[in-house]
Parts: sequence; structure tokens; C-alpha cells
Amino acid sequence: MGQQINILEQQTSRKNWFDKSYKLLMILPILLTILAVVYVGFFYYSHNHEIILKDVSLSGGTMITITADSNTINFEEFKIALEQKSALRGVDISLRKLADIGTGKMLSIIVESSSKSEELKADIESVLGYSLTNDNSSIEFSEPSLGKNFFNQLMVALLVAFILMSMVIFIMFRTFIPSIAVIFAAFSDIIVPLAIVDFFGIKISAAGIAAFLMLIGYSVDTDILLTTRALDPKKTREGNLNQRIFGAFKTGTLMTSTALLAVLPAFFIVTGLPDSFRQIFLILGLGLFADLVFTWMANAGIIKWYCEKKGIQ
Amino acid sequence: MASYKIWILGIVLILSIISIAPWSAFESGVMIQSVEKNSTEFEKGLRSGMIITEINSNKIVNLEEFSAYVSKLISNETESTKISITTDSGNFVFIKELPLSITVGNIPPTRLKTGLDLSGGARALIKPENISLDDSQISDLVAITTERFNVYGLKDISIRPVKDLGGENYLLIEIAGATPSDMEDLISNQGKFEGKVGNITVFSGGKNDIPHVERSGQQAGIDGCYANQGSGEYCTFRFGITLSEEAAKRHADITSNLSISMENPEYLSEKLNLYLDDNLIDSLFISKDLKGRITTQISIQGSGSGNDRAAAIKDAEASMKKLQTILITGSLPYKLKIVKLDTISPVLGKEFINNLLKLGLIVFGIISLVLFIRYRKIKLTLAVILTMFSEVLITLGIAALIKWNLDAPSIAGIIAGMGTGVNDQIVIIDESESKKSSTLKQKIKNAFFIIIGAFFTIFAAMLPLFWAGAGLLRGFALTTLICVTVGILITRPAFAEILRKIKE
Repeated sequence: MGQQINILEQQTSRKNWFDKSYKLLMILPILLTILAVVYVGFFYYSHNHEIILKDVSLSGGTMITITADSNTINFEEFKIALEQKSALRGVDISLRKLADIGTGKMLSIIVESSSKSEELKADIESVLGYSLTNDNSSIEFSEPSLGKNFFNQLMVALLVAFILMSMVIFIMFRTFIPSIAVIFAAFSDIIVPLAIVDFFGIKISAAGIAAFLMLIGYSVDTDILLTTRALDPKKTREGNLNQRIFGAFKTGTLMTSTALLAVLPAFFIVTGLPDSFRQIFLILGLGLFADLVFTWMANAGIIKWYCEKKGIQ
Repeated sequence: MASYKIWILGIVLILSIISIAPWSAFESGVMIQSVEKNSTEFEKGLRSGMIITEINSNKIVNLEEFSAYVSKLISNETESTKISITTDSGNFVFIKELPLSITVGNIPPTRLKTGLDLSGGARALIKPENISLDDSQISDLVAITTERFNVYGLKDISIRPVKDLGGENYLLIEIAGATPSDMEDLISNQGKFEGKVGNITVFSGGKNDIPHVERSGQQAGIDGCYANQGSGEYCTFRFGITLSEEAAKRHADITSNLSISMENPEYLSEKLNLYLDDNLIDSLFISKDLKGRITTQISIQGSGSGNDRAAAIKDAEASMKKLQTILITGSLPYKLKIVKLDTISPVLGKEFINNLLKLGLIVFGIISLVLFIRYRKIKLTLAVILTMFSEVLITLGIAALIKWNLDAPSIAGIIAGMGTGVNDQIVIIDESESKKSSTLKQKIKNAFFIIIGAFFTIFAAMLPLFWAGAGLLRGFALTTLICVTVGILITRPAFAEILRKIKE
């Protein structure tokens, strides 16, 4: 009994706290979105009118994955030798190594270059001193024209997906402000991870853009949950507005955390998955983190404000 | 009363398991991968996908036994021999000169088809240079490319046209497993083969001018090997072709106007030059006896080189095979360009599958733990996990049924779908736990409003991916949509029902 009173008191004080500070809470996400938009805009102008760094699947070129441990190849030496060769040809090259996170053991080396696959293959073979075969390497090549074409189409797909999603939201809620709040959160869930990958100079693949599309679907479910519970049009739910928002918060954060926990192992525990695969999960992970902020600080604030204006208790 | 929802889930689960057929691993026999067209085997009705269990009353358990038995047959019999093959689709008896015109492999452990990222192989996206093709041109291109691969000896391939959002037509070629190093030549060569005397074309590749090309036996093979000046060796090859009457007559007309060579009195003054895609590949002397004569038999020669004899033989054989392929299939009326070419190592693929299983276990483990910590109810946690597992199983069942190639994006899609599934179940649990006096039915109805909304937003987000980027990411969209659709139609209603039972 004593315990129950305690929880009740806690909830009352939380109520008061949210009543006082919900507008203040909205400042951070709004600032974040503005910062992200400005940064992506700045990136666009400083990177030759590109909003992301494209990997070879989108910009054209060759990516070779060599399976090798550090006993076979010394990564640093290999890197220097290959960079010298590429400098002679005047082509861009970048090397990364994939290592097992647990043991730190090198699993494979990924070489990306703007050159054709035969040229890059020949360069690598001459540095390594053995042939690249089907057993020790994978080679992916894309024509620049195709990459550009893919990129443009995926951008169209992203736009179409966003518009379709917005339509679904408007049809569901049939009220302007709550719908716009959800759409704003979805937009932020995309633009913030975009700014982050841009900031860290991560090269995005076609699969990475598919992950941004997925974010559209993934991020709005907590917003739908929040809006549905807060508006409670049929009056079937218990509690006042704050309690309903807090209930949604409990459910929603559990949803997002399980999703995050499902996504993060692909990035931090199990290495040795294809790069495209890991990138999908990295972007989903960033988006889900952003979603926590935008759903529960921005969207919750807007919906609370809206309900107070409309007299929804 | 409403427990039929659970029954539906159960039935669909059983159907999914049947569709995936995980017991294939325990079946004995070998699966036919390809049957050569126009062969006796094909005429008798043997088709790829059939499972051979016996040959001439000898039980065949696996590929090793099949190979051992067939090579024993070949070494024992020189003449045509009677062969009786028992398959899962009946018995086939025929008389045939060995070797058999079929290729076989071990029975795959399940009916799930794995894509390039998992099983290794090559994928090429090609498009014609400077022109866009209409539907009938594309289907011609598919036919010629398929024939080239077949003639070359590659059978396990998928060749299909794809269209992207911009209306551009491509040809998508996927080859499972190991791939030939000269695949690039094989698909991107226009294959315009011409035999010219001076500027006049005597014949060109394809069935009209060249009805027959020798591919083995005495009329085709390596002639001899010689040391190169400098280092290495080179080998010459030779194979016979038969010209059509018309082409032979053209040859006669042209040679009748030629004089006898001054330097080489055994031959005519002009040579027969062979061009492949406008590059001169061979120059043949024309014997003076052939002047004005209609001859249908011509021998084509060429060479290959390498660091040692074995490499030179291999190179010469490969060149010969390529040339034969092009002569048989004829040329394409336009140039092709490879716009994307990926060759994925089967070794990396195997590692990927292992890592995926590891990832799956970790994710299942973490999610169970989190849910248990939150709800402190074993039954509830188990129900969520079982539902999640069912969704994956049903999605895989559908993938096996529609013969979808599971590649990395497809699997990422399944995982993304699983995530949505867990989210929806959390919504159902939390709505049902709310304390208001309204009925459980109303609470679940409330939950479904949220779930259906979330479903449509995912649907909207994934739909454009079906067409963008020549459909290379279609797998991601497809498996996500299957997974969430299965969720909304089958597993979510069943889960709500299970939840009701737990609460009672």
C-alpha cells in the first residue's frame, strides 16, 4: 500500500514536471534538426552538390574484398604500396580492414577505387604477389553512369516513400497538427542520421539508401502510438493526457530499445558480415536513436500543446 | 471460440515447413541440374529438378556414387548402351552413347534458394550501347545470351530482363557458384564474326552461314605447342566448321577471281581473314586447289599462350571454346556494355551464413532477456519469441515457395520485419495491460489501430524500392513486406488470442 502511494506521488510530480517543461524539451530536437539541415546543406555545397559520400555502387568504380588475416598481409605495408600504385595511375583509392571485434583479428581488407576492376585487380595482385581468385576475394564493379542512375532513382524512391507515408499519416489522424508533428519527426529521423554519416565521412552504398527508406517505416510507429494514445478519439483509454503520454512513452521506449538491441549486434558483436548489410544496420541504429529524441521530446511536446489548446484532457 | 486464429497460425507454420522441406538433407539421390536440349535424355522426359535415385538398378546415394558409377559405365562400354534411370518422377529407359547429356548435383538441404551473397557467384547487369531495346529485342537478347552460356557449358544461370524507374532496360545475369574468368567476354562480346577475302564478306557467324561447328573429336582440338620467343609457350588450336551451300558458293565466286600467289605458289593471292568484332583474329592461306571450288568444310585456327605449357593449353582451349560459342550462336545486332559486374566468393558466402546464424541467436537472446526483464512473465516472453520465430519461418516458407533468391538485402529485410513484429507485440501487450474497465476486445482493437497504421507506413516506405535501381534491392522490400504482412494477417491476430488465453 505504501509503495503504491509512493508511485502515485512520483507520477504526480512527473506530471508537474512535464507540464512545466514540455515546451523547453522541444528546443533540443528542433535545434538538432536545424543543425542537421544546415550541416547537410553545407556538405552539399562543399562536396560538389552531393548530399552524401557515395561508395562505388553509387559513384562507379571497383570494390575488392580480400579475405586475409594479418599473417598473410601486413595491412599498413599493403596500404602504402597500393596507394603508391594508384597515385601513379591518378585514381582515387581507399582501404579499410574488417576485424573481429572480440579478438581484434583481421578478417578481410576492402579496397575501393574509381578504376576499372581489371586495373585494380592487377595492382593488388602485383603488390600481394599472388592471384586473386574466387576463393580469396570478391569483386564488385559498377559503371559511373549506372551508379548515378541508381542514386537518382533511389532518391526518387525516398521522396515517393516519404510522400506515401505522409499520406498514410494524414488518412489515419485526419487532423493537421498531429499529422505534421509525426511527419516532422520522421523527417528528423532521416536528416539527423544523414548528417551524422556525412560528418564521419562514411561512404553510403545503395543498400544504405534502402536503410534510409526503411527508417521512414521504422521511425513512425512510435509516433503513431504516441499520437493515438494522446488524442484517444474514442475515449477508450484510462488516465489523463499526461498519463497517456507517459504510458505511450513506456511502451514506445521499450519498442525502440528492442529494435536497437536487434540492430546493434550486427554492428558491434558479429563482424564479418557483408558491408552493405552492416551499413543498413548502422543507419537503422542511428535513426532509432534519433527517434527516441524526436518522438519523446519533439512529437510529445507538440501533441501535448495541441491537446491543451483543443481541451483534450 | 476465436481460437481458430491460433489454428490458422499452426496450419500456416506446418505449410511453411513443408515448403522449406528441411528434411531434404536426409534424402538420398542426386538432383538433375540441367539436361541438354535435343539430347535423348531430354526427349525421354528427364528434366532439371528431378531426383535420381537409381541407375541400372544401382542405388545412387550422393554425387560421389553417381560419378563413380557413371565413369565405370563409360570405361566399360564403348558402344551405345542401355540406361535405366529411376527418379522421383518415374522411370526412364533409353539407349545412348555415353557420356550422359545431363549434369547433376547433390540435393540441396532445403528448398530455400540462396542468393549471390550467400552462395557465391557472379552477377552482371548489361545494357546495349547507345540504343534502348523494345520487349521483343530484349527477349532475343535473353535467348542468344542463354544459348551462349549453354554452348559454353554453364547451366545453372538465371538470365532475365529488368526495367528500372527511368524505363531503362537491362539484362540481369546471375550465375551461382564458381564463375569462369572470361565470363566478361562471353556476355559483352557482340560476337560479330566475319570471314572476309579482301573487303568482301564470305560468311558470318550464326546458323545461316555456318550450320555446324565441330566441338570435339578429331576435327577439333589443340594442334601443338611451341616455345615462345622470349619466355613461355604458345599452343595452336584448330576446329572444323561446315559452311552452308550459299556461303560456300560465295566463297567459290570470290576465289575464282583470285590469282595464284607469286611468293607462295601453293596458295592464292589473297588470304581468308577472320574478324571477331572487327578485330582480325586469324589469317588463313587459301590453297590454290580451292580456287573457284564450292567447298563446305573449312578449318579455323588460332592460338593461346601462357607462362608454361599447361597454361598455354588452357588459354588455347578457352579461346577455342569462346570462338566456337560465338560461331554457333551468331552475333548480336548491337554492342553491349557491362554496367555492373559482381563476383562474390563462395568462401565469403559461407562465412556470411555462419555469422548470420550467430547474429540471429544473439538477437533472439537479447530480445527475450529484455522482454523478460520488462514484463517478468515467462509465458508472455515465450509467446513473443515464438511469434517472432513463426514470422521468420513463414517468411522463409513463402520465399521457398516463390523460389526467391535470398541475398544479403533480403535477409536484412527479414530482420527489419522481425523488429517491427516485436514492436507490434509490445503494443498489444501494453494496450491489453491498461487498467481501464473496457473489455480486452476493445483494448486489442485499440492496439490494432496502431499496428495497422504502422503496417501501412512500412508498406508505403518499401513500395518504391520494387522499381528503383533495376530492382537490385527488391529483396529487401519484398522480405520486409512479406514479414509484416504475415504479421498483420496471421501472427498478430494469433498472438492477441494467445495473450487472451494467458490472461484467462
